[in-house]
Amino acid sequence: MTDRKTNGMLLQRRTLLKGAASGAVLLAAPAILTRRAAAQGMDTSSFENAGIDWRQAEGASITIGVIPAGYFQNLEAVLPAFSELTGVNARLEMTPPGQIRQKAVLDLSSKTGTWASHAADPMYYDLYVANGWVDALDGYLGDAKLTGQEWFDYEDILEGWRGATSVDGKPYGIPYDGEATIQVYRKDVYDEAGLKPAETLKEYAANAAKVHSPDSRLWGAALRGFKGAGQNMYIYPSIFRAFGGEWFDGDRMVVNSEEAIAALDWYVKLLNGYAPPGVENWNWPDIADAFGQGTLGSYIDAHSSAAVIANPEKSKVVGKIGFARWPKGPSGKRVTSIWNWSFPINAALSEKDKAATWLFIQWAASKETQAATSYAFDGAYKRSGVNRTSLWQDEKFTGELSRVGDNFIEATQQSFTEDTDVDWRPRLPQWPAVGETMATAIQASLVGQASVKAALDEAQARIDGILKG
Amino acid sequence: MRSAAFRGEGNFAALLVAPSLIVLVVTTTFPLIYLFWSSFQNINLAMPFLDGFAGLDNYRRMMADGNFWHSIGLTAIYTISTVVLQVVIGLGLALLVMRIPAGQWLFRIVAILPIVLAPVVVGLFFRTLMFAPEFGILDFVVRWAGFGPVNWLGSPTPALVSVIIIHTWQWTPFAFLVLLASLAALPPDVYEAARIDRANALQRFWHITLPLIRPALVIVIIMRAMIALSAFAAIFAATGGGPGTATEILNLYAYRTSFVTLDFGYGSALAVALLVITLIVSGMLFYMRTARTT
Amino acid sequence: MARNPHQAARLRRGIVLYAVVGLLLFVWAFPIFWAVVVSLKSETEVLAYPPNIIFEPTVRNYRDALVGGFSILPSFATSFIISGLTTVLTIMLAVPCAYAFARLRLRGKKALGFYTLVTQMVPPVGLVIPYFLILNRVGWLDTYQGMVVVYLTFSLPFAIWLMVSYMEDIPCEMEEAAFLDKANRFQALWHVVLPQVRGGIAVTVIFVFLNAWNEFLFAVQLGGNDVRPVTVAMYNFVSVEQTLWAKLSAAALIAMLPMIIIGFAAQRQIVKGLTVGAVKGGGRR
Repeated sequence: MTDRKTNGMLLQRRTLLKGAASGAVLLAAPAILTRRAAAQGMDTSSFENAGIDWRQAEGASITIGVIPAGYFQNLEAVLPAFSELTGVNARLEMTPPGQIRQKAVLDLSSKTGTWASHAADPMYYDLYVANGWVDALDGYLGDAKLTGQEWFDYEDILEGWRGATSVDGKPYGIPYDGEATIQVYRKDVYDEAGLKPAETLKEYAANAAKVHSPDSRLWGAALRGFKGAGQNMYIYPSIFRAFGGEWFDGDRMVVNSEEAIAALDWYVKLLNGYAPPGVENWNWPDIADAFGQGTLGSYIDAHSSAAVIANPEKSKVVGKIGFARWPKGPSGKRVTSIWNWSFPINAALSEKDKAATWLFIQWAASKETQAATSYAFDGAYKRSGVNRTSLWQDEKFTGELSRVGDNFIEATQQSFTEDTDVDWRPRLPQWPAVGETMATAIQASLVGQASVKAALDEAQARIDGILKG
Repeated sequence: MRSAAFRGEGNFAALLVAPSLIVLVVTTTFPLIYLFWSSFQNINLAMPFLDGFAGLDNYRRMMADGNFWHSIGLTAIYTISTVVLQVVIGLGLALLVMRIPAGQWLFRIVAILPIVLAPVVVGLFFRTLMFAPEFGILDFVVRWAGFGPVNWLGSPTPALVSVIIIHTWQWTPFAFLVLLASLAALPPDVYEAARIDRANALQRFWHITLPLIRPALVIVIIMRAMIALSAFAAIFAATGGGPGTATEILNLYAYRTSFVTLDFGYGSALAVALLVITLIVSGMLFYMRTARTT
Repeated sequence: MARNPHQAARLRRGIVLYAVVGLLLFVWAFPIFWAVVVSLKSETEVLAYPPNIIFEPTVRNYRDALVGGFSILPSFATSFIISGLTTVLTIMLAVPCAYAFARLRLRGKKALGFYTLVTQMVPPVGLVIPYFLILNRVGWLDTYQGMVVVYLTFSLPFAIWLMVSYMEDIPCEMEEAAFLDKANRFQALWHVVLPQVRGGIAVTVIFVFLNAWNEFLFAVQLGGNDVRPVTVAMYNFVSVEQTLWAKLSAAALIAMLPMIIIGFAAQRQIVKGLTVGAVKGGGRR
């Protein structure tokens, strides 16, 4: 069994595995050899319903940059079905997550066209659009020759994600996989202490304080502490918005408002008070690992982290997990992440390659492929970040997933429908620099290099400098 | 006689040097010129509308940039401390190993290992298997020894200490091997004379050994300083320059500026600054070497 | 003088010496030893606290790293091709150049020598973008030739300087004798000089290969699907979903295996390579 398989979301055939003698596992080796290449057949008949000529870009060859993650590996496994359907030779290029943005930016800015599309960070669209590096997709969506409009049903894609990949109301990327951030807690610990999942941020900190007992190796809570636009600057914006913070005052970006100070103060106090030592360097895998080892009372992070904590091969707390939406902030808002990986079209491509790329995107984001890479995937890892409202309401998708823990499907669904906020993070072309500046400030105040106010004031000064140019 | 045999030497020499030189010009001179050129430009991918000639703006900005000076300070601390540690530990270890009659080969083998490992691998290993607060073994040992939990990579000073430890671990064997070899090459008779003069061990070391191995020491210092100034992968993998900017030496700051904040112009200026510093430091060290040895 | 107390003191000193030396040996060997231990654990055991010393070792991580979905074997081949080609080309170019630098009169030699030294000091961070643009222009991104050319930029100056130190060690008389034999210059270089510096070439080969194999920054930016060296492929075990530490350790150890083998096998050459110049009293006069 490969790592992906064994760490799949609770869907291993435990009984089978348990019963199997080690010899049998060894016998399975040939399957491993072929696992990645093992193309899975897909029922392509439903694609005919699209009513478009799938072979209109036949012969084109495209490469799509993605990261080595289970949800893209599943896509890779069913990719041959796409080539068969369209006659387009499409390849995925696995790139380390730390480098994919830089590679994409280098490629786009030099108009190389190496990557026809790539797994894009939604926060980068303003940058892409400001430079004219990617095509607006409304034209593609509106072209009946290119898109089976009714069949594809763009509106079915989660609303928050569509917003995240659009600039000024125009779509520039089509979401493929994503996540909502939710509250994860230890049911047994909370029950014993007579606690309920927090309704407000204040309660959340109080809960953490109540269960916090480092002497018996149980810490109250953890959030991402690692420095990075996609790490601590992924979790802090939810708090900032829940505290009623606004990123922009007119045209000016403001990060040291009273709300900002209160929000960061809450974050710093929570982590310094009740998080395990080292949380300053934790990204979500570290948090999930700690929770899986039973040393955390609660955390707030992506719903997809359930794959780790509910995996009996890695986790000791299977069956003791509960989920809930983000606690409300003082403003009364709950603000979840609208993070997703989406596919744009590189503007430097030839017309034929653009058509081929669009066909790929349409295929990958379609209900059929989303299903084929999630619940219908023939492998232990099944995606949990599907992009479609209809799938999130489909028993076939939610059925097995709901066994991850109490309230998992409900909390995630409600987060998607009620807690998304397009202005979760400040959207502007300078996001890479701004995000990095904020990340540095957040971490600096967390580790005590500067006070909350001083850190934010400095960030404000830097951001003023960045935006002034 | 000699001049006859070596007639046409210049042409022959040029013929031998030319291929390498052409390759070097093509592969490094173009990029180098580009680097200089872009350091005088505004190239910010996030703000393409500002692109254009910037004159000395990037350098002026550098002078006023607190992060730049901070990273210079860290570079100095990092370089000096790692070089000193490597030389002191390496020399100490070499002196000790010289005195053990058997088993020197074991040390050579153990010393080779860190040197051949990729820095990115070393950084990753240390980040998790050694320093991570929950399951890093070093963290466990330190706690077990009663020093309490140290948040190695999570708080500013320990993080800096950690990356210094990582670098020292990987490269001390280099100093050790070089110094061991030069100690082994010393003629034994000089010690005999000193012993007759009743010099004690420290005096012998100070007055005889040290001057004799000085050339080797200087070479070690030069090479180690160069490597420390250009350290990247191990820090990148271990802390990414954090927490905050606590381990962001100039090399990493230049990287972050170019690749994360997408300000290629300013990033190039920072890279040029690093090149200049490297040249100055190596120039000084080379000067010291020739001044002392002649 | 009583012999016994003296001997006892010596013995005591010997024990202390071995203890100190042994401790340091342990400190240096430990991280690698621990990586091996971790690579033999299951992912759950890796995270156990306190760390398990006793556990049931498994080779599963190695099997996955070798033949699993993320097999690093293809990358292994890639790294071999890149490092091998880089090494061959570097030696072919550097040896004659070093010979000229070391032994022949050439106008501007000093300046040229300085130039090669400077090229070695340019921070790679500053070169990635220019390389990307240039390779893009000639269509060599994600190709073997592209990677090899980039690697030449740091291996060539390094190799030239290393070889110069070896060339300077050969006595001039031998070549002069060859010239009297009416051997032409190429023949003299080939038949007289080269055999003398075989050891030096071996050392250079090892270091150039090593540096190319361990490179990460250029590999990740300028490589891609077709050309993905092991240092990059390893990162497949540090995904966004979770880090598989045991598998990463196994993959990293496999990726480093050729280096470790070279390290053991060519131990003497490496020490020589490190110490060349240093030991004989400052190298170049």
